[in-house]
Amino acid sequence: MRELLGRLSALDPGAENAVRVIAHFDALVEAHAGLEAFVRAAAVLAACPAGLHHPRRRLHLRVDPDGGRLPPVERLPDWPGQPLDTADGALVWLERPGPARATDAMVLERLAAGVRVVLERTRSRAPRRDPALVELLLDGQADADDRARAADQLGLPAGLPVRAVASIPGDAPLPEPLHRWSTSVGRLTASIAAPGNSADHLLVRAGIGPAVPPVDLPRSWHGALVALRLTGDGSGTHPGARVLRHDDLGGLALLSETLGAAAANVPDVAALTRIAEQLPWALVTLDALAEHASLRRAATALHVHHSTLQERAGQLAQALGFPIDTAAGHNRLYLALVLRRLHHNGDLTAHSDTHHHATERTTGAG
Amino acid sequence: MAVTRAHPPFDPELSAALAALPAGLNGQLRLDTIADQRAQIAPMLDVPDDLLRRDGAVEMEERQVPGPAGAPAVSVLILRPAGLAGPVPGIYHIHGGGMILGNNRTGVTDLLDLVEQGVVVVSVEYRLAPEHPHPAPVEDCYAGLVWTAEHAEELSIDPARLLVYGASAGGGLSAATALLARDRGGPELSHQILLCPMLDDRGITASSQELDGEGVWDRNANLTGWTALLGADCGGPDVSPYAAPARAEDLSGLPATFIDVGAVETFRDETIDYAARLARAGVSVELHMWAGAFHGFEGFAPQAAVSRDARAARLGYLRRALGS
Repeated sequence: MRELLGRLSALDPGAENAVRVIAHFDALVEAHAGLEAFVRAAAVLAACPAGLHHPRRRLHLRVDPDGGRLPPVERLPDWPGQPLDTADGALVWLERPGPARATDAMVLERLAAGVRVVLERTRSRAPRRDPALVELLLDGQADADDRARAADQLGLPAGLPVRAVASIPGDAPLPEPLHRWSTSVGRLTASIAAPGNSADHLLVRAGIGPAVPPVDLPRSWHGALVALRLTGDGSGTHPGARVLRHDDLGGLALLSETLGAAAANVPDVAALTRIAEQLPWALVTLDALAEHASLRRAATALHVHHSTLQERAGQLAQALGFPIDTAAGHNRLYLALVLRRLHHNGDLTAHSDTHHHATERTTGAG
Repeated sequence: MAVTRAHPPFDPELSAALAALPAGLNGQLRLDTIADQRAQIAPMLDVPDDLLRRDGAVEMEERQVPGPAGAPAVSVLILRPAGLAGPVPGIYHIHGGGMILGNNRTGVTDLLDLVEQGVVVVSVEYRLAPEHPHPAPVEDCYAGLVWTAEHAEELSIDPARLLVYGASAGGGLSAATALLARDRGGPELSHQILLCPMLDDRGITASSQELDGEGVWDRNANLTGWTALLGADCGGPDVSPYAAPARAEDLSGLPATFIDVGAVETFRDETIDYAARLARAGVSVELHMWAGAFHGFEGFAPQAAVSRDARAARLGYLRRALGS
């Protein structure tokens, strides 16, 4: 029956029938046809070449009415076209010199709708796991267009804020949503937290950057590093929160940005280290005292009796050489502990900061 | 009867083409509707002379040639490139139409490009079933081939490059004609081109039961076509391999073969079987099964990507085969 039916070409371009156009494109959508098939259908139905240009997805297709591909060409201004709803000039068109046919608008509209469906469908498939793309996204020196494309290819939801997360590899496992978009940067692991994934309940030691549009991820990565430098490892020698958010740092962010090795020169920092050598419980206790508003709360956190803690606090104040139960003393202790962490973490983020920042870390208070 | 099995999915572009098909082109074919089908199809079979002549690039001639002994003359359509100098390859074309429809112009437009490039086409019109059951159709085809080979020089056909070519029922008849040519000692064929061929009346393959009211040429239409050709013998023990080539036991000594089929058609499995058996018998075989394709997909949706690929594959093979 083969040749007989050939005459009944289903895509007869003479059929100027809007219903057939719609039905045909609907059938392509239902059958999960690809982009080229849609452009081809437009070319066949309109009996002239049809094209699709999508800069961000690096797509440029032209198909002739016989179904063959044509090489790319600059679009002539008098071809009927329909923009796709992206900001970057994506559109579909028919290459009809001369007066438009009645069905041209219909064909273009259905083509645009079909292309949108395909782009949505192909976007939401499992995002690529590509560390190189993550690295590109965090690199402030990389071309913005390349980074936009990387965000697309990774499947980052468009137009929604994301956060960079800086963590210590091997310390504890990364949850899967972060692991999916992660790479190594220097000695750290860099990941991207999508919206809705606030990176709560992290077991791994990490700094979490501010929420930014994907194109600004280098800035969030920098913020994540700033936060990471202020973390402790939760041990007796380096107590302190293991996970810090840049959003919560306030003025400490500036401290973290600008100080480094210079923090060693502060006498209070040296005193803390000396005391830690003498009294094994010293740093954990001091950290609790600094973190909590009252001695009572600190005692609860340390699981010791309130009066035990009072005695110990006195001992520590004497060893430090300044009171820690006054507001000023409390603040001085807090600052000393922060500076000690910054000093200790000095090497942590070396070779990881790919966001070039006006103030370099190496200069510090002398 | 048999339970309908699940079939592979259709190619997206072809699926859309199927949706656009006029209804009633498929399973409605019954023995008692053949006359209606012919009447319905007739205008579509009309291939005007102008279309064939291609503004003078092709020379066209109709001739009556001797039919089988005791049978009427057979009409052949001869197409030659204008200004032909020396001998060129010859394509002996056998049209399709389920054994019951068509004429010697059916399907021949697909070959016009080749004619222009330097090939002579001889297309035979054979007596149709059910009015003329087996062996009339295949014997007409064989008689026309004999005449073509005997007049090769006059037709400017290189006798070493004469091949048989057909689609669907034409593919089945081409395979049968090649069997006859082998078993009767001639004519010599260089190749057989079998496009989604109709090879097996028995309806025992899986794919022969997969389509019921779907696709093109479903199991019902197939039963009608074979019954028209074979009558009560259809599916039984007495069917000749020259009617249903799938029944031939020995496939050795047949010409080099190009064979293609869609993945979603009644003929899929008998085609694959035939290709495999040819290869095991030492015949050179090229087999293409086109993903998601229904029977006759190239004709329905010639611009679809898979149709273009199928055409290119066939032309690529012919170029290699004919050395041109």
